Amino acid sequence: MSALTFTLKNSPISKLDCRQLTPNLLANLTITEIENIPLSSQKNAPKVADFFEVSGSDTQTVHFKNATAQLNFIGHQMTKGTIVVNGDCGDFLGANMQGGTIIVKGNVKDRLGDQMRRGLILVDGNAADYCASRMIAGTIGIYGTAGTHVGFAMKRGTILLTQTPKLLATMQDCGTHTLPFLALLFRAFTTLPTRFNNIQTHRVQRYAGDLASNGRGEILVFSSR
Amino acid sequence: MLINGIQIDDTFAEAFNMRGTRIIITAQNLKWAYHAANAMTGFATSVIGCGVEAGIERELSANETPDNRPGVSVLMFAMGSKVLMQQLETRMGQCILTCPTAAAFAGITSEDNISLGKHLPYFGDGYQTSKLIHGIRYWRIPVMDGEFLTQETTGMVRAIGGGNFLILATSQPAALAAAETAVEAMKQVPNIIMPFPGGVVRSGSKVGSKYPKMFASTNDAFCPTLKGLVQTELSDDIESVMEIVIDGLTFEDIANAMRVGIQAICDLGADCGVKRISAGNYGGKLGPHLFKLHDILSIQTS
Repeated sequence: MSALTFTLKNSPISKLDCRQLTPNLLANLTITEIENIPLSSQKNAPKVADFFEVSGSDTQTVHFKNATAQLNFIGHQMTKGTIVVNGDCGDFLGANMQGGTIIVKGNVKDRLGDQMRRGLILVDGNAADYCASRMIAGTIGIYGTAGTHVGFAMKRGTILLTQTPKLLATMQDCGTHTLPFLALLFRAFTTLPTRFNNIQTHRVQRYAGDLASNGRGEILVFSSR
Repeated sequence: MLINGIQIDDTFAEAFNMRGTRIIITAQNLKWAYHAANAMTGFATSVIGCGVEAGIERELSANETPDNRPGVSVLMFAMGSKVLMQQLETRMGQCILTCPTAAAFAGITSEDNISLGKHLPYFGDGYQTSKLIHGIRYWRIPVMDGEFLTQETTGMVRAIGGGNFLILATSQPAALAAAETAVEAMKQVPNIIMPFPGGVVRSGSKVGSKYPKMFASTNDAFCPTLKGLVQTELSDDIESVMEIVIDGLTFEDIANAMRVGIQAICDLGADCGVKRISAGNYGGKLGPHLFKLHDILSIQTS
């Protein structure tokens, strides 16, 4: 079975809400049914077919092609399956996510992984502001740069970075460590198309936070690539 | 039956049902993996007094373990699931959590899962965190050497304990040397352990005793110094008997181990001092699994 693929026809002028296009909600739907999914709850909401060419059949592996920063809420509340985004994403990628995997080959806008509870998000490019805001748990990796307010109000969970961003005052430096669980995590990455597989070290600078929340989350910055 | 001048008695070993599990212990190097595993499998020779029977199954190279570090696999057996769970948790807490650089992972999958590190994380006093990787939950517990990593559960399977054979020799050194040879050969067999010291037990037991409170007592029929006193199983030339006890995951695993061990002794020839191979049983009354020596060894020869 080939991955269910949404190929963006033209870059939309306004933001598109993609929260309906998750493995959970697409399971057992035919291509025609998928093409007729409205992309918002408004009366004359645009349909999937208005913006995307839909192909493939494996609803548990969803690909977005030619994606742009106009696509919001990709992977919202997903609990299973895999989403691979070839291109950029808008705001709230993987918001309220409760399982599954999201891989982004490009850049992501604000509030990536907002209130995420479980699952894995790996971004090859950059993330804008408020990455992992209000994160409850799970794992987020940003291979490029992260904007301001990383992990704002995060409770638990792990954020993997390759460069130290400007951190909130409520993120505490816990020192440099070689963490054994990273061996397991990176072993799980080897089957995924992500730049994180380039990282050879398990040595990280560990920042714990957000202490303004309950402070059991962590930002791990790899010492070198 | 006579193999290479050594007599194989027409008898059987009697084994019973147990519950078993496998744990993979890894560490910075094999030395520390062994320290952890030796502690965990210490005082675990017999369920009579130790609760569990445990031993190191084999060494694992770095590419065989979940975290790419060298390690060993440990098998642990108990008479029931409750005891197994209790003993596993206690031994995890006292032997693996405490051992520098050690980590623990499930070594067997089953529908029945038992806690490997479900309650240990409370040692983290609130600083423990869990990670769900590929649907498997791991716990990270901050400890003084860094972080202790353990999988949350491991599988529990039905297993068999008490497979055995007796080595009857003309002298104590001869009996022990033959037993060592057998143990070395049997260490290559997967899915089994020999829980006694060095894999060998010298105090084989019978059921019951003249003392009402004792469940088991010395197997007088095989004690060489009692030859003239009791109804002995020993001929005049036998001066020492050693027993090898085997616990394994399946009947075939134990039978295979017994065959390999007995064959290794027979390969030494009668000149090694071993005259007979026998087995310990309770007349077929106690355990449902009977390992008939002739049947086991005839598979080898056929």
